[in-house]
Amino acid sequence: MAHGQRKEGSILMYPEKPPFPLKEYNAHYDHIFEMMEELEAKGEILIYRITEEHQPMYVYTRTGRIKVIPTNKLWHHKSCGQCGNIPGYPASLFWFMNKFGLDYLNEPHQTSCTAWNYHGSGTSNPVALAAVWLRNMHQAWKTGYYPLIHCGTSFGSYKETREQLIMNKELRDAVKPILKKLGRLTEDGRIVIPQEIVHYSEWVHAMRYKIAELYEKEGKPKGIDVSNVRVAIHNACHTYKMIADDYPYDPEVFNGQRPAASTAVMKALGAQVVDYSTWYDCCGFGFRHILTEREFTRSFAIQRKLKVIYEEVKADVIITHDTGCTTTFEKNQWIGKAHGMYYPVAVMSDVMFAALACGAHPFKVVQLYWNCSAYEPLLEKMGITNWRELKKEWEDAVKYISELEKAGKYDELMEFFKTYDLYEPYSRTSTGKPKASATAAMPLFKS
Amino acid sequence: MDGHSYGYNIPISEKTKSVPWEEKVRVIEEVKSDFRFKEYIFGCLNCGVCTASCPSNRFFDYSPREIVQRFLEDDVEVLYDMMHEYIWACSQCFTCWIRCPFVNNPGGLVAIMREVAVRNAFEATKDLLKPYGRVLLKVMTTGNQLSADMLQPDFFPDWGPKMADNMENLRAKRMAIPFDVGKSVKTAWEVSLETAIEMYTIWRETGIFEMLEKLDPNLYNVIMDIVEENEERYQELYEEE
Ligand code: SF4
Ligand code: SF4
Repeated sequence: MAHGQRKEGSILMYPEKPPFPLKEYNAHYDHIFEMMEELEAKGEILIYRITEEHQPMYVYTRTGRIKVIPTNKLWHHKSCGQCGNIPGYPASLFWFMNKFGLDYLNEPHQTSCTAWNYHGSGTSNPVALAAVWLRNMHQAWKTGYYPLIHCGTSFGSYKETREQLIMNKELRDAVKPILKKLGRLTEDGRIVIPQEIVHYSEWVHAMRYKIAELYEKEGKPKGIDVSNVRVAIHNACHTYKMIADDYPYDPEVFNGQRPAASTAVMKALGAQVVDYSTWYDCCGFGFRHILTEREFTRSFAIQRKLKVIYEEVKADVIITHDTGCTTTFEKNQWIGKAHGMYYPVAVMSDVMFAALACGAHPFKVVQLYWNCSAYEPLLEKMGITNWRELKKEWEDAVKYISELEKAGKYDELMEFFKTYDLYEPYSRTSTGKPKASATAAMPLFKS
Repeated sequence: MDGHSYGYNIPISEKTKSVPWEEKVRVIEEVKSDFRFKEYIFGCLNCGVCTASCPSNRFFDYSPREIVQRFLEDDVEVLYDMMHEYIWACSQCFTCWIRCPFVNNPGGLVAIMREVAVRNAFEATKDLLKPYGRVLLKVMTTGNQLSADMLQPDFFPDWGPKMADNMENLRAKRMAIPFDVGKSVKTAWEVSLETAIEMYTIWRETGIFEMLEKLDPNLYNVIMDIVEENEERYQELYEEE
């Protein structure tokens, strides 16, 4: 099927005309949507469809396909790297979800995708990766909430796994008995495969005008102004280079010739997006390299990205949309001082920057204290000039919590948390509270 | 001369030379028989676009073009030799994949080669993955790959003095986040026990535990202790109901 053609009810959709000039290449990826429909008709799989209750919005992919982005009733498939190492990343996303009054599920019946481990160490295989993915997807499907993937590597890996599953019967045949054992097939024995695999940056992209409205309504009255902020975009390899045909492109962003997510939301907010020569380079994370080939990671990050961004375009901030890149850029600046290669620039993800612009607390919500790069000049430039007081407010809260916890005063702790606008000690889960956790650790709260 | 007459000029290692020819053929056939292989290599112009855009090529003696070429030439000796160390330079960024005019995926070939090297317990692989043990322990036992408590400042001195500040009062900091994220410091989130148990079944059924046993028996034992303990705990909870 091609542009201008539409099959009623099909999940493969194109606009009448290509929305931007399309590259000439042997793209065969879009065909998997037709193959998914065929497999569903044969009773092999069940397509987890995006419906009206997910409040779909529409974006274009690199091939000009219309990709459906669910914006409501979302099952948050969290990122271990973000939760562990950049807590303000998911917190900013949840902040937006609550601000927009959206329905979501943030539950503990999920695992990491395990793809970081695979790309770093090779200690897995496609059957295991597929089983892990499909277990998570089945759990989301059971709840009726649509999976929103926080991590770029999970997103890239899941896109690739889906293509492999659709194209290879041998993989489906290998994974099916495992899912059966886990009770993770439909009642009539089918594999659940989502209609679209959706990254949070695609959600941000689809919601960019709503985010811009919130900025006008709540950010600007606080004196926040991003119009002078120079923003360098770093697109994450695993979002747009893995299964390249399934990520947003848009006529407004380099006429559809570069990935659109992140750039488009920055433009919608009115920030100055600046172009630099090594935009396509990776960050240097390298999966195993960040842990075991550290000198590669830092050399690459400094020489190919930080130096270029600093010298060529003097950006105030590098905007990312993935876990590893954010960490690599913000953690590998300080060491540059040892070699006279210190190129300070703030680093954060699109959703963190957008939350700041819309007036989120830089420390309680965006958790900037965790950041090893110099974010203070950026806050000043954005007009968040009271960041010192806000930081003190945060530090006082941490101190108070710590003292109460040490003294075992849990009731007082719970009272304190009630003063938080949006606080939920435990998120709702699809099965009530979990019985126990995998770490056997004491839960953080005695409720 | 040792190595290849052009391009790949790294001398063939003694390790590779000492392995019987049939064994080397078997290992390379294992790579080529992976169902992904035919989807990752279609031909090659020898244009070098992949290598020119490869981040690892800038800092290591490493070239994705070489890997593709050696497969097309069926150069068993060099391919086998690459599996000790050469392929571990790849950053898995897939810039080669998006840029190759043939839509080859050299990074994907590397992923298959790494997997086969691990499965066949290559000595070099064991050494290379030693520092990766903490991640393996976490992911195999909890289903989470990373957690806040893994970021010990001693392990990351090059990340600067702020790391020590970050880790101070970590638990209270995480409790102070006004949403249910980052609360657990031992895991990225509290993975429910029943979910972890499902994960163990996946590892068993797909041969991952077996692979680990060959790779690092000590780590395997530690992992299995935790797995069994959790399985018992789950059994008890299940019986209570
Ligand atoms: S995936 Fe590996 S081979 Fe390909 S460009 Fe990246 S580092 Fe180079
Ligand atoms: S870019 Fe593709 S065709 Fe060119 S050398 Fe690399 S693998 Fe061969």
